[in-house]
Amino acid sequence: MGGRIVNRHTWREVRRQLRESGAAGLVAVMLVALSTAWGGGLWLVHRWLAQELLADTGAAKVVATGRTEEGVAAARSALLDRFPGITAELLAPRGVQEQLGRWFPELSPMLLSLPDSSFPTLLNVTVSASQEESVVTLLRTQQGISLVESSRTWQRHVAEVSRRFMWIGSVAAFVLLGGCCVVVLLVIRLLVLSHADEISIMRLIGAHEGAIRLPYVVCGSMLGIVGGLLGLTLLVAVVLQLRAIIPAVGLAVRLAVTLPLAGCVVGVLGATLGLAALPEEP
Amino acid sequence: MILLEEVTKNYKSRPAIRGVSFAVERGEFVFLTGASGAGKSTLLRLLYRAELPDRGRIQVAGRDLAQLNRREVADFRRRLGVVFQDFKLLRRRTVGENVAFVLSLLDVADREQQRLVYLVLKQMGLQNRTTAYPEELSGGEQQRVSIARALVRQPDLVLADEPTGNLDPDRSHELMELFKEINYQGTTVLVATHDRSLIAAHPARTLLLERGSLVRDGWGVAS
Repeated sequence: MGGRIVNRHTWREVRRQLRESGAAGLVAVMLVALSTAWGGGLWLVHRWLAQELLADTGAAKVVATGRTEEGVAAARSALLDRFPGITAELLAPRGVQEQLGRWFPELSPMLLSLPDSSFPTLLNVTVSASQEESVVTLLRTQQGISLVESSRTWQRHVAEVSRRFMWIGSVAAFVLLGGCCVVVLLVIRLLVLSHADEISIMRLIGAHEGAIRLPYVVCGSMLGIVGGLLGLTLLVAVVLQLRAIIPAVGLAVRLAVTLPLAGCVVGVLGATLGLAALPEEP
Repeated sequence: MILLEEVTKNYKSRPAIRGVSFAVERGEFVFLTGASGAGKSTLLRLLYRAELPDRGRIQVAGRDLAQLNRREVADFRRRLGVVFQDFKLLRRRTVGENVAFVLSLLDVADREQQRLVYLVLKQMGLQNRTTAYPEELSGGEQQRVSIARALVRQPDLVLADEPTGNLDPDRSHELMELFKEINYQGTTVLVATHDRSLIAAHPARTLLLERGSLVRDGWGVAS
């Protein structure tokens, strides 16, 4: 083959095979696009959770609510007596109402129209990780406190749910990629079978096995790469939409490489397996 | 160029070639003849290594064909020009692409491919059929495309299986003249044909097969 691995003959064959793969090829591309977009999305969610919600900042937040402002103030005094170095901010019902209004601007008019009594008094405590447990225990013993939650407890819940979700999502992604591999395999197998006569003639006139097989592998990898790029485009579109709601969601440069690469690997693997249909010579 | 020693080939215990031995020197022109089913095509298939013999040894251009690995088989076939009885044209490709295909395997530049393809198709009288597909051609035209493909890379050895089977007498004689011409330039030519008149008109060394056995090795048609 004139020394080069991929020469004009290979590219000519690849173009022809891509044309001939038709609807089946398109299905393979779409499936690769969906699986890579799903895999990429999963990775982005994982990264966002890790950076925004599960990051270990060294400090913990403990939030306590009470029915009356006096009760919560008494609890705050008790807390500061026991732990003089900590920050404990008391938020009156009006303050809670305004805070919520700032967090959810769309709901702000409705929130601000409600009576103060609809909102609890809030005690917002910032503690070191080592003091978190003791602070929570102390607050739970206070008369004026009705509910105590700590950020670390929530993080543990979120981490647990996220781990399960990631596990199931990863299995689904691998199943999808396996499905893509099978579809590419079938596309290549169909091409090989429809070209069986041609392949035997190519052999008879001196084509190397590599020259016969390589275009099919390149064709499979092209289907995978195009699918991966399409998956990336899909993911970018989704992320751009999500950014309006969650600004912290972002794309990573490595995804731009990983998704087409994953598609390529799936395509090459599927094509290589599909080439098993190629009849052997004596 | 070609050496066969006691070559035997059976298909499901039915003997196709029985203990055939002969040698063809480089630059020779040889006819292989015999009735239908005598074993001519099988012998040619053995020579371009589409089959392996059950017994015996075949050497072509100094290489023992049974010892070649897959890559070496491909390299070996590139040095041959084979004209197949059933043409074996790539039906999804045009006449030009069929002929150019063997050149593209050798990574010949596009422009050079076009030049060589045009020259050989002109030689075959097919220069105006370059863009036609095999199914649009008559049997004779397909035969000539097959011959053009065999000759375009100027092979060391030409093996032709009934190359005139679909040609009219004038074309047949033109083709034989062409084979003589390339043989004159140093290429070894082995033509399998059942057409005794062709051998009579172009006398050369003739191997006669009967029921898979070589029964005569002589000049021209036996009287």
